[in-house]
Amino acid sequence: MENQTLVKEICPTKTQGWVENGALLVDVREKDEVAQLAFDVPNSINIPLSVFEDRFTEIPKDKDVVMVCKNGERSLRAAGFLVNHGYENVVNMKHGIVRWAQKGFPTKGDTASVLENNNSSCCSNSGCC
Amino acid sequence: MKTIKVLGPGCPKCKTTFHNAEEAVKQLGIEAKLTKIEDIEEMMKYNILTTPVLMIDDVIKVKGRVAQIDEIKEFLKN
Repeated sequence: MENQTLVKEICPTKTQGWVENGALLVDVREKDEVAQLAFDVPNSINIPLSVFEDRFTEIPKDKDVVMVCKNGERSLRAAGFLVNHGYENVVNMKHGIVRWAQKGFPTKGDTASVLENNNSSCCSNSGCC
Repeated sequence: MKTIKVLGPGCPKCKTTFHNAEEAVKQLGIEAKLTKIEDIEEMMKYNILTTPVLMIDDVIKVKGRVAQIDEIKEFLKN
């Protein structure tokens, strides 16, 4: 992930600052993952990667946007997709909700699901691989 | 000569797709340039979201699942 230059990446701590300044958090995990554990921030929407191509236009172009997922891999791809579609204020959050939860940042749901198995890749049955 | 690209982060499904592409080429006995693209920046240039992706002559034929040998052979015949 460090080897790409298309998308700017920020850490969960910096994401906190972005959110406080009104940025929109776009979670690209699948619905079942979000039902288990979600980011507890004021401005967030869930657009699963499996339907992202059909729904990405729901994301406003005039707002700061932080893309998030479990480990930061799927969201990086989605962020690249948005940049390629003319979005200029998009960043990716590195390390996903796993690091976010490890840092003790606000979540809704059961953190055990991500904390106990944090070495697994983000590629579950998520339409990535 | 056909150009075949398999895009994906190197997961088992990506590896299977690449193997299937190799096998399809072998079974047809044709010449093809087979490339594996695992670099994330390179993948983002193609604007893909779900992997693995099978491209033939720079056209996406299959995305988000493993392409089977028989279907790859059909793509290559056309």
